[in-house]
Parts: sequence; structure tokens; C-alpha cells
Amino acid sequence: MKKEDTVKLISAEGMEFVIDKEAAMVSQTIRNMLTSPGSFAETEHGEVTFPEISAVILEKICQYFYWSLQYSRGKETEFYIEPELTLELMMAANYLHT
Amino acid sequence: MAMYIRVKRSKTTYFIQCDPTETALDIKQKLHTLIDQPVNDQRLILVNTGEILEDSKTLADQKVENDAVVALTLRKDDNEFEDVNIVQPNDFYQSRDADSGNW
Repeated sequence: MKKEDTVKLISAEGMEFVIDKEAAMVSQTIRNMLTSPGSFAETEHGEVTFPEISAVILEKICQYFYWSLQYSRGKETEFYIEPELTLELMMAANYLHT
Repeated sequence: MAMYIRVKRSKTTYFIQCDPTETALDIKQKLHTLIDQPVNDQRLILVNTGEILEDSKTLADQKVENDAVVALTLRKDDNEFEDVNIVQPNDFYQSRDADSGNW
């Protein structure tokens, strides 16, 4: 695990989540940011700020990324979502193309 | 990757991929590449039980499971380890209401 292989996602409150790029790229939006040609500030520093996503939702999203990786490798478990998070989570998922 | 754990300190969360057979020391070495802190200056604490993880034991032995939350504390200048300090998102809202002066 190398530092260059990780990306830092920052929530509205400034909470930071450091995850593998491989996991972050479950999101098509983040994948585009990290792989598009030309130098996005995001690509160079490995940091993406989401001023509209709260930490609770962003953490859930990161957990989903890893769950998704595990699932794609044949580990079929359930992904639990607290009912009160569903609306915000759907809005974030829509934005992230996840 | 069999599982991942969430290592938290202050307002940062590190998602670390690992296997149940790896030791706490293996995790510290992974953290070392991310935060430039020597493994000897790191202490990992399983948040659910409050137990300090021992370097030589595996994660499975110490009941660290998939998606577990582990607190990271670092050695301070006086050679003691700092207390567990994890910022909860809710703290922000409270502090915003309590003293808007700092914003």
C-alpha cells in the first residue's frame, strides 16, 4: 500500500477519509476526476473535496466502495443502510455515479 | 483483500485493506507508509472493546473484524501516548451552535 495509491476524500465539515484509489474508482465521477488527462488539482494532490456531502454520508459511501470490491470478488454479504440515511445517500450516489 | 478496517485519529479516517491473519504490526507498517510515523510511535486500540492491539498477535486473535473501527494514537514528545481523539461529525454541529465565534 503506497501513498500514491490512495486518495483523500474530504467532507463538508472537513473530515478526511483516506481510501485506496481502486476503491474510490467504484465511483465513475471520482474515476473521471482521477484519470482524466490534463492536471486537475484533484489528480495532483490526490485530494477531492465534497462540500455538499456530510461526513456521515461520505463514510457510508467509502464503506460501500469497499463492500462493492469485496462483492465483485465473490464475497456476498449484505450492505446495511440506516433508514434515516437513505435519502441523502441516494442523492450522493446519483452525484457520484455509483 | 479479505477485509478492511477503519483507522481513525482526529478528523481523519484511513481505510486499510487487510487479512484476518495479519498482525497489528503489519497494519502499523501500512500506516507508516501513509503517515510517516514509525511503528514504535503508533498505538492501535479497538474502539468497541477499548483494548490495545498487540503487535505480535493477528487481527483474528484480537477480534478485529471486517469494517472494525480502530483508534490510532501517537507517541507525544514526552514519550507518553496521547489519548484517543476521534472527531465525530456531530461534534461539528454542536460546536457550531455553541460558539459561532470560532467560525
